[in-house]
Amino acid sequence: MRQIIPAIVLLLLSCVSAQAQDSVNVAVAKASPGSNKFAVYGNAEASYISNSAAKGFGEINFKPIFLWRISPRLFIEAEMEIETGGGSADLGLEYANMCYTVNPYLTLHAGRFLPKFGAYRGRLAEGFINRFSSNPTGFGDGGIGASVETGVGALGALPFGDIKILYDCYVVNGPHLLTDTLNAGQFDYEAYTANNNSLAVGGRIAIVPLAASNLELGFSFQHKAKTGDAGTENENVSLDMQAVDLNWYQNISALQSTLRITGELRHQKTGANAAYLAADGVTKYLFANSPRAWYLSGSLRPALVDNTFFRNLEFAYRYSNYKRPVNAPWGGAAVTSNEFAVDYWLHWNSLIKLAYQSKSDEPKTFYASVVFGF
Amino acid sequence: MKKILIIFAVFSIVILATSLLTGCYVSAKVANKSGAQLWGENCNRCHNAPAPGELNNDNWDIVGTHMQIRANLTKTDVEKITDFLKSANN
Ligand code: HEC
Repeated sequence: MRQIIPAIVLLLLSCVSAQAQDSVNVAVAKASPGSNKFAVYGNAEASYISNSAAKGFGEINFKPIFLWRISPRLFIEAEMEIETGGGSADLGLEYANMCYTVNPYLTLHAGRFLPKFGAYRGRLAEGFINRFSSNPTGFGDGGIGASVETGVGALGALPFGDIKILYDCYVVNGPHLLTDTLNAGQFDYEAYTANNNSLAVGGRIAIVPLAASNLELGFSFQHKAKTGDAGTENENVSLDMQAVDLNWYQNISALQSTLRITGELRHQKTGANAAYLAADGVTKYLFANSPRAWYLSGSLRPALVDNTFFRNLEFAYRYSNYKRPVNAPWGGAAVTSNEFAVDYWLHWNSLIKLAYQSKSDEPKTFYASVVFGF
Repeated sequence: MKKILIIFAVFSIVILATSLLTGCYVSAKVANKSGAQLWGENCNRCHNAPAPGELNNDNWDIVGTHMQIRANLTKTDVEKITDFLKSANN
């Protein structure tokens, strides 16, 4: 039953869209002389980190995005990621996603893509959108939740009166269960290949309830019946993930400012049939594995004042909380983090960030970073 | 978990049923919005909205399609917005 649900959903959605007016212009727009279908965008980021344990310039990230609008129906997006955080220049294929616009309400896509799981990863986490130099605890490295997936999906937006319903659904390889001593019970959320014969299904339904389109509320899920490597005793360990997300902004004329509130809660549950090998190489153990992470962030930018300097300033605060499995090798007490940032905008997608982070399991840290979107 | 999949499927059926009855439609209030207004509202939700004049016409089409996919924007909104953004180049 589970296996066919994505197919049913796809079918239903294509019916919706088929009966709706199809206004995609089938004829390929005639290219004018010198016109192009290809563009490169992306962002670069450099940061300075200082705390009682270490001081210095941190990783440099350079992420070009390649976009081709082959025709009004065919589109491809690809992002390369060059990062130096690991001590050498690591090259990664963040995504390469081929999209086919069936009609105004339905786009099908295939490749490696950022699944819409919550709104942080793939959207609000982008260097020029995130007001902080780091990720909320539980949302970055060592955290939880879907990250990059390989497979196929369908997405679109359906207007109903003042409201818009946004949907995404996908079938992908899904996360791989890790069983090594340090990471037992964690997952590889960015695997390039499949590790057994089970696929993950997931999706997000969101609503933009206000005519001013300044509020988006989303619910996401992902399910994979078998996450362990094929042929291993943990092959049949399942994983269920859910997320709810919020993104709202409002101009407040009394303060001559724009207020932005974003937040997300993620939860996941690993099947209880997992058994891991302890460091002694003999003892088997298991633990309750249902971590949860959430964050809430607010920022205020006096965007409506006349003074250019003040107009480009933004003040932000974020609280995040990561409840890890108590008995996991990567677990323990919940981690909480309070972050404050003062940002200065140089362009719509370029900014300087000065951030202070007080996290329960790390020394207090000061970050200074610069992000250029291009 | 099954419950969630069922909710998801039921939700899709509700959308299907609603749209069969009414079709996807926008209210008059939304339909009357100009490209400039839609730009100010939609393109500011996740990031600061890029200004008209920032890109050439071809690149606005490329970005429009990218955002339609990345941000689940409606095609009508994207078309009105890109027309507005291009108007600064003409
Ligand atoms: C739901 C969130 C969201 C909304 C709404 C949104 N954007 Fe974006 N935008 C993004 C993200 C995320 C990126 C970064 C893409 C990446 O790094 O892969 C981006 C990148 C861009 C870029 C850089 C070039 C590119 O295509 O990556 C431009 C230009 C842009 N957006 C314009 C717009 C315009 C114009 C609108 C309104 C029609 C809009 N955006 C609405 C999330 C959004």
